[in-house]
Amino acid sequence: MLVTGGVVVALLAPVAFDRDSFPLSTYPMYSRARGQAVTFATAQAVDEDGNASTLTLAVIGDSDDPLIVAGELRTSIRNDRADERCEEIARRAGVWGGLPAGSTTIEVVTERHDVVVQVGGGDSLLERTVHASCEVPT
Amino acid sequence: MTDVLDTPTRTRSLPIVDAVAPPERLAMFRMLIGTFALVYLLIRLPVFLQLGDRRTGFDGVGVAGLLDGPVSNAVVAGTVAVTVVAGIGFVLGWRFRSLGPLFALGMLALGTYRGSWGQLLHFENLMVLYLLIVALAPSADTWSLDARRRADDRRHAGAPTVYGWPIALASLALVITYVIAGIAKLRYGGLDWVFGDTLRNHVAYAAARLDLLGGTPSPFAGLGVRVESVWPFAAAATIAIELAAPIALLGGRIRTVWVIAAWLMHLGVLAFMLIGFPMPLFLVAFAPLFRIERLWTDRPPWLLRPAPQRAD
Repeated sequence: MLVTGGVVVALLAPVAFDRDSFPLSTYPMYSRARGQAVTFATAQAVDEDGNASTLTLAVIGDSDDPLIVAGELRTSIRNDRADERCEEIARRAGVWGGLPAGSTTIEVVTERHDVVVQVGGGDSLLERTVHASCEVPT
Repeated sequence: MTDVLDTPTRTRSLPIVDAVAPPERLAMFRMLIGTFALVYLLIRLPVFLQLGDRRTGFDGVGVAGLLDGPVSNAVVAGTVAVTVVAGIGFVLGWRFRSLGPLFALGMLALGTYRGSWGQLLHFENLMVLYLLIVALAPSADTWSLDARRRADDRRHAGAPTVYGWPIALASLALVITYVIAGIAKLRYGGLDWVFGDTLRNHVAYAAARLDLLGGTPSPFAGLGVRVESVWPFAAAATIAIELAAPIALLGGRIRTVWVIAAWLMHLGVLAFMLIGFPMPLFLVAFAPLFRIERLWTDRPPWLLRPAPQRAD
């Protein structure tokens, strides 16, 4: 009975303290109210004319999981480590066979999009901020 | 494997502390969650091994918060290797008293360390909780190599509550997890989560994020987002399913209805957001709610071993 009670208290403790952790959690995924305008962290390849191209999950975050790639990139920007992360991405982009021809630079950016318009294929970009820029090694 | 003795099982009351179950049920739970976790670890092996190369961006969560910084590559590789070996022992019930807890702690350590780089993966939480519960229970008293080593694996069998309680505890962890997820939506999202466009926007957000990161969004996302009227109903159903999880403890038809509803909810999340929660999608999360020993005892005839022919 005591152990059962202890386990229940432990499971509920993150809710009481509003603190997400592992393996005890507040399970906050997708729980916030969300509007149509959302800011995303990403990295893009940019050519000399300033045209930006999408990279891949593996090039941006060395992972196939978008949650991990996006989460870690956000953390890098928040902790002022965007330059470091930019160099890492540029190194991977340099050996990536799919890098668009003429791409010379990697930019770590946050972009604000209207997500409903974006999913519909429309012009959704509302705002773009460059946090770091670095050259693709040749 | 031996036949299951006729152990009474309470399903209509709310058995938590005095729940009873045959040892075979706990053994089957051990095999199911152990196999799931081991396969998960093996599939994600490159991701876990890669953690050893990382030197920046560490932000310890859980017990990893005690670390000053990243551990060495050798420590990560060693933990992964030991956890894989312990996982095989966990599934087979081999030297379970030591390898069982070692596997659970290994998965806890790897999950904690993996989550210490800026992004928690919440579907790993329940898996680790189940492993800890099973590892600390007599889950290898039967249907295991340890039991086979003993002449009579029933001789060491404990009281039915010894096997029922861990399963009841796992069931409790399952339903509490869902209730917390439901509470989070009301707490952080408020009523707007149900009555506003939040769920539709989350679906659009998941698709847009994948697109901007160079992935391939769900082909259903664009179509779903255009059908605006359906999302408030889907949102209300999601919260109702999550908050109603405790009814699954009642057992019987009401449990089965809830499990189907929860499974469909996860299927919807996968279809529209390409976010897979493998434990519920493969039904392993719901295993403690059922008489899962029947997966083996009621197996189809073609799996039955033919009786030896007696020479007269």
